[in-house]
Amino acid sequence: MRALAINIRLFLQGALLSYVALFGWLRPVTYLASKVFMPLAQILFWTLLGTFATGRENASFFIIGNAIQLAAVNGIYGVTMSVGGDRWAGTLPYLFGTPANRLAMFSGRAFMHVIDGMFGVVLGLLWGVLLLGLDLSQANLAGLAFAILITTFSTSGLGLLLGCVGLVSIETMFINNAAYFGLMIFSGANIPVSSLPGWMQVISWALPLTRGIAASRALIDGASLISVMPLLAGEVVLGGVYIMLGYSLFRRVERQAKRSGKLEGF
Amino acid sequence: MSASVWRRNARVALAAFEVTLRMNAPDPFVLFTILVQPLIVAVMAMWMLVERGAANALFVVIGSGMTGLWSALLFMGGNSINWERWTGTLELMVGQPTPVSVIIFGKNLAIVTQSLLSMVVSYIFAALIFRQSLAIQQPLLFAISLVFTVIAYVTFGLVIAPVFLLSRTVQQFQNAMEFPIYMLCGFLFPIALLPGWTTPLSYILGPYWAARALHGTTTGSATFAEVALCWGMMVLLALAYLVLSQWLTRIVLHKARADASLRLE
Repeated sequence: MRALAINIRLFLQGALLSYVALFGWLRPVTYLASKVFMPLAQILFWTLLGTFATGRENASFFIIGNAIQLAAVNGIYGVTMSVGGDRWAGTLPYLFGTPANRLAMFSGRAFMHVIDGMFGVVLGLLWGVLLLGLDLSQANLAGLAFAILITTFSTSGLGLLLGCVGLVSIETMFINNAAYFGLMIFSGANIPVSSLPGWMQVISWALPLTRGIAASRALIDGASLISVMPLLAGEVVLGGVYIMLGYSLFRRVERQAKRSGKLEGF
Repeated sequence: MSASVWRRNARVALAAFEVTLRMNAPDPFVLFTILVQPLIVAVMAMWMLVERGAANALFVVIGSGMTGLWSALLFMGGNSINWERWTGTLELMVGQPTPVSVIIFGKNLAIVTQSLLSMVVSYIFAALIFRQSLAIQQPLLFAISLVFTVIAYVTFGLVIAPVFLLSRTVQQFQNAMEFPIYMLCGFLFPIALLPGWTTPLSYILGPYWAARALHGTTTGSATFAEVALCWGMMVLLALAYLVLSQWLTRIVLHKARADASLRLE
């Protein structure tokens, strides 16, 4: 029981501190630029491009797709910086030196980004309503909130895995950018997954966001939560798989680093 | 300015051009910005526009290539003075007799020239993967437009660099500036889709006229008079950018010297 309490405290403290540490360099104006204006610009660009291609009646397809895709801003960039940041800040040896539960410590890195990511997605949808006329009158709002939570969770799972890659590679930003833009293609945010070639569809369904975007579109159209449950369940499983993959890699990095004496080797 | 000063400035700009090319070539961030990102934009635009018949493949090749040009200029050109600060060479650059803007010009020229690769990659991709016909309708006018495009971008970059140095707050919005310029310059869709009040903003952007000229000459939809208008506007704006950048650079350097904050972030 005591161990559980310690692990919960470790999880929460890790979550809070890693998020606060992120703001050591991320100022409020940076937050405003990267979490408010950049997403707005992204939604506007892809929605206008989409409506230019397919007509104004399809605007909601692009607005919802890109708004949900914003989960990747936190899920990919935020989480990888939280995990990989220990290497750059020189705190990795301390981290590996503690007897703390690694899973609690590791998964805590993503917690606040799930919350903040949800806020980002809601803001994206709000931009859609205010500026692009997104109609939420039929939406199952409670279901949508749940779908957003699940989607930010699964995307953060991928972020945890990529963050661990950042512990062994110096090309973190290249990897992050490639993942972020790759998700734009594969997630169905702008291109219906069904219109992609077969091999690309396989990749699409193996990535987070795809099911979350599909579920969110259905929920905004008025579908019941039960009807999208298979999609959301798949998204949860996928998120769990990515977290476990990331965790395995994290432990492997730790073992290798201790064995080779290259804890912070670049 | 005497001929010898012109020669000296040209030599320094050329040296800055060469060093920047060499430094950028192995940089993964640069490679992502000028090769991978425009390619991803091209893939998506091909699917969204060409497959549905909303635009032809050359329009997408040019448009996505221009997004690469802008992103590279924004991130690398925008930081060209800051980069010297980060590497500790800003004092040396400011202290030598050649004007700083000459060096920035050389650096921006390298970035823009290198970024033209994004168009080449998009072109090859569209031809090989999407098997699209990619015949440029007015090749001579296109080639001339490309030269004016380089001038428009390089001079625009001369304005961005000191602005980012002058205001850290503005620089924070660097990431957020990518897509607005894609939209305002009509790289991948006409600016007529935007609200009317944004049109004057498009008109004062050199890359908008570059996009108009390149799109018009590749698809053959523009008359010579229209293309010439674009060239004229690019030259006019380039001159305005040069004057503005001179003024801004003078302010920045004076401020940095007066505050003794040349090295400080």
